[in-house]
Amino acid sequence: MTTENKYDGPILEIDKLSISFFTRLREIPAVMDFSAKIMPGEALGVVGESGCGKSTVALGVMQDLGVNGRIVGGSIKFKGEEMNTMTPERLRDIRGSQIAMIYQEPMASLNPAMRIGKQLAEVPMIHEGISESEAMKRALEVVTDVKLPDPARILKSFPHQLSGGQQQRIVIAMALMSKPSLLILDEPTTALDVTVEAAVVELVKDLGKKYGTSMLFISHNLGLVLETCDRICVMYSGEAVERGSIDDVFDEMQHPYTQALFRSIPLPGADKNARPLIAIPGNFPLPHERPEGCNFGPRCDYFEEGRCDSQVITMEKVSGNDRHESRCLKFKEIDWDAPPQVAETKEKAPPGQVVLKMDNLKKYYEVAANALFGSGGERKVVKANETLSFEARESETLAIVGESGCGKSTFAKVLMGLETATEGEILLDNKSIGNIPIEQRDTKTIADVQMVFQNPFDTLNPSMTVGRQIMRALEIFKVGNNDAERRTRMLELLDLVKLPRAFADRMPRQLSGGQKQRVGIARAFAGDARIVVADEPVSALDVSVQAAVTDLLMEIQREHKTTLLFISHDLSIVRYLSDRVMVMYLGHVVELGTTDQVFAPPYHPYTEALLSAVPIADTSVKKKHIVLEGDIPSAMNPPTGCPFQTRCRWKDKVAGGLCEKEVPVTRTLAEGHQVKCHLTDEQMTEMEPVIEVAAE
Amino acid sequence: MEALTWTGSLGTILNPILSIAVLLLAISVVVQIVLSFFAPAITLQSNADGTLMKRGGALGMFEQATKLFFFAALAIVVVYIVGGIILPYGMLGIVGAMSKQFAPVWIALFLTFLASIMFKRRLGLYGKLFDSVIGMIGFGLVMFWVFTAIFAGLFDLIATHDPLSQISGLKNKLPGVALPEGSEGKAPHYLLGGDNLARDIFSRMVYGSTIVIAIAPMATIFAFMVGITLGLPAGYYGGRLDTILSFLANLILAFPVILLFYLLVTPEIVATGIPSFMAAFLFVFPIVFFGVLLNSRYYTQPTKRTPMLILVLGALGWLYLSMISQTGTVLDFLPPAVDLFDIAPGILVVFVSVVFVNSPTVFRIVRGLALDLRTRDYVAAAQTRGEGAWYVMLWEILPNARGPLIVDFCLRIGYTTILLGTLGFFGLGLPPESPDWGSTINEGRKLLLVFVHPPLPPAIALLSLVLGLNLLADGLREESLKD
Repeated sequence: MTTENKYDGPILEIDKLSISFFTRLREIPAVMDFSAKIMPGEALGVVGESGCGKSTVALGVMQDLGVNGRIVGGSIKFKGEEMNTMTPERLRDIRGSQIAMIYQEPMASLNPAMRIGKQLAEVPMIHEGISESEAMKRALEVVTDVKLPDPARILKSFPHQLSGGQQQRIVIAMALMSKPSLLILDEPTTALDVTVEAAVVELVKDLGKKYGTSMLFISHNLGLVLETCDRICVMYSGEAVERGSIDDVFDEMQHPYTQALFRSIPLPGADKNARPLIAIPGNFPLPHERPEGCNFGPRCDYFEEGRCDSQVITMEKVSGNDRHESRCLKFKEIDWDAPPQVAETKEKAPPGQVVLKMDNLKKYYEVAANALFGSGGERKVVKANETLSFEARESETLAIVGESGCGKSTFAKVLMGLETATEGEILLDNKSIGNIPIEQRDTKTIADVQMVFQNPFDTLNPSMTVGRQIMRALEIFKVGNNDAERRTRMLELLDLVKLPRAFADRMPRQLSGGQKQRVGIARAFAGDARIVVADEPVSALDVSVQAAVTDLLMEIQREHKTTLLFISHDLSIVRYLSDRVMVMYLGHVVELGTTDQVFAPPYHPYTEALLSAVPIADTSVKKKHIVLEGDIPSAMNPPTGCPFQTRCRWKDKVAGGLCEKEVPVTRTLAEGHQVKCHLTDEQMTEMEPVIEVAAE
Repeated sequence: MEALTWTGSLGTILNPILSIAVLLLAISVVVQIVLSFFAPAITLQSNADGTLMKRGGALGMFEQATKLFFFAALAIVVVYIVGGIILPYGMLGIVGAMSKQFAPVWIALFLTFLASIMFKRRLGLYGKLFDSVIGMIGFGLVMFWVFTAIFAGLFDLIATHDPLSQISGLKNKLPGVALPEGSEGKAPHYLLGGDNLARDIFSRMVYGSTIVIAIAPMATIFAFMVGITLGLPAGYYGGRLDTILSFLANLILAFPVILLFYLLVTPEIVATGIPSFMAAFLFVFPIVFFGVLLNSRYYTQPTKRTPMLILVLGALGWLYLSMISQTGTVLDFLPPAVDLFDIAPGILVVFVSVVFVNSPTVFRIVRGLALDLRTRDYVAAAQTRGEGAWYVMLWEILPNARGPLIVDFCLRIGYTTILLGTLGFFGLGLPPESPDWGSTINEGRKLLLVFVHPPLPPAIALLSLVLGLNLLADGLREESLKD
């Protein structure tokens, strides 16, 4: 009923769409004057920072804006039919059958009390009225299509029995059940690990081709959009600022915001000392505090007073390119090829003596089957960290890379003293601290080792002022003799992280994500920390803010000669800022070396896959395509032999099934470069680089 | 003196108007409900100029009409109230006279609402309450009784007679009955009639509020102290401590409440001193709570902490000792000179029982919240800078659990009010002549088939207060979720 009707005009045509949310105080315009057109089989990527209105567009298309949201202008035409005036019955008809949506959180879009097969079969049964057995047959087909192992078993299982990656595949399968003409993907892979993300993206691309589905792909990740879409629309503060084909926008950008965005993400070639990132100055304007004229004006390098802030700016066509438009008055005057003003290059601080040394650190957890009478019953050992050995020097950045479940958080906990090591030692200035829980550590040790947390919205206590929280850290670290002294020190710390002093009396909810993260950094440095564990400190921030926070960390490090342990899964940022890299998988260190050694062959097979999985927003970069099969095994039930053998593509090169039998020993390949792999040296040298930057 | 009618001379004009308005309101509501089954669904109509289409047609018309009639009926009710205050005594009958008696409450309510609505943007969650109609109604009902209790209990206003004095000849008389010659009172009538001991029902209802308003919030606060002090470590540490405490909480919850009350007030049990020991145990929690709260926060600054702790713990300790040391019970150790006050033994038992049965529920709520909040990064941040467990629990977790706790607090005062009513109804704890609502309802119940009017006022009072608390909790919950 749906795919039969022939229609060859644009699938979706949005024209001058405006959406507002109505709160008790005022009307908040979320999307203004947004136009887009998606042709059959085309994939449009909508990119922007959080709060720019990209998800609102998607919800507007679905006509699902909740109680407060309303479409206040413009039109949305789906296959030529106006959606704004549709009856609820007609909308119900279209939703799920012709337009399907995939959300960020897979678990939230699946009914936890219903078997997968039944949930999938529901879609065609409702929309097409086919029988249950037929629907189940189609469900089996689609589940096979999304490349899930053992489809028959999957259909019988409940959502919680599947991993995150598998759940997201099921959600995709559900969206495809009725062969929709338009698929809306709202950050479909943000909640997934990089290697799983790569596989899901690959799948979406293939299915799009196979079914001829048009796609509206919403993401904050430019690299991901480059890999999946044909056309791109860049949004800023409720408006589309530039749109065009991927090649046009990536290589011949015509809007200052797009340019600034690209300069603030770490692409291959960026370097923290020689070619630092250029952060976009200022903050994202709040929806009700948007400036006159150009929304990006106050943060724009090319801003011209009296011109950019005095008129309504409309989209202008860029001549010469196909459907390439920009919302900038000056795009014809700006010299887009001019190299960025290079900020002063900085001297790399030489690494000093060893401050922190891990020696064969092991952390095992015992999981008891019975909570009340813990001593009896069956017990399982989870090996969270296996024989961790490394050194970190003064003013050095050591990156710890790995996906969820690799044991990096456990390691951080042991280092901080929240857990004690099962075996092995942690030496801080040659003093063993691995077995001393935090209650027994002296103030100096605690103040020396501090942490910056991942989630900016969670890192500060929401019911205490910013100043109070920093002052509490000072109190605990015994800095200052009275409140007045501590207050002065607190204000100095705010200066250090480049926040206005007035922020001391603000509540965390009045701060943006980046500002909160700065407060978190200030708090970590309250006791002049010498070792700072940064647990994905920028991964939850918007790209334009990421650069600024990263630079801040680097600058403080240079000044204070701090040792930075930078935990991350984002290899782009790791390459940009770290001196040495440690790759972890299921509790094992699989590779350790300087940044150059790790990012160039020979690789550990896992490092190779990780490198290939990270999307890079640069059209001149050629990547080798390696997609890992399956998911990360559970730490409760690790594979025998090499932890990576279940997903390794080099496994059959090793003779005698050695990978399945023995855990490889750590080998030194070059000075300071170690790898835990069975591959021989010859096989290692045969490896080709994953990322190649095409000569310009 | 003539007996008062319900609405007096002016009522003959106002009553028909009110009936018509209410009738029309009822009709239009019914029609609106019926029509809504057939009416077309609301579709969004965004016009080019940015305006939105309103719903029109017959349904839209009846929606307007319902609103109109509702406000008309409301206006007439306001006329009764304002008229009662302004017009001379008796013109608006019993309704007017009662309104006149409640005049201080009306004025206080009006001022509270006026001030709150004027500054609602600066008052946080409390201010947001005034954006929700439900919340405002709830708040109005609750504050009505709070003001009544304050004016009656502290300033001896509002009530027309002494709640315990009897006037012969007025036994079981109907509302509006005139006092016989020579008897005293602030009003020449028993506004809501006399009960079976010839006492003024209106005054007893008013004085009943003072008992409820004094006990219910205090008992709830104590229950919260106990629940929080035990629930936080249970949720934060988890493990065996949690298992044991949760088990105990379930044990108390599984025990029939009424049976427990009967046991606690049995003279033999009282004689063994169990209620006194329970009081000694339960009332220690606030001291522990505040002691730990201050110590964990200020232990890094001993010069500040020590005097503060001495002051707070001293004051609380003295109150605690005066509270548990009662003449005539097993715990009677404080010389009368330093014993600040004595609570009637009955009230103490009621208090203890209410705290005892409410704290396990609070415990479970707090435990659940702590379980959720302990995984937050700011808790980890506090741990990694070496904060003590109690600091994390009381200063990092508890303030962020306040939203659900405030809502539950309102609901729980309501439950406690009902519980007090139940206790009074069974004649447990409080003296039989006490004007509290539960006892009064029970007394009136005995002659219910002959005289309906004695138990109704306290029942309606109880209902309106609990309803108000529930609506207030609803409004708070609704508004705290919005932003």
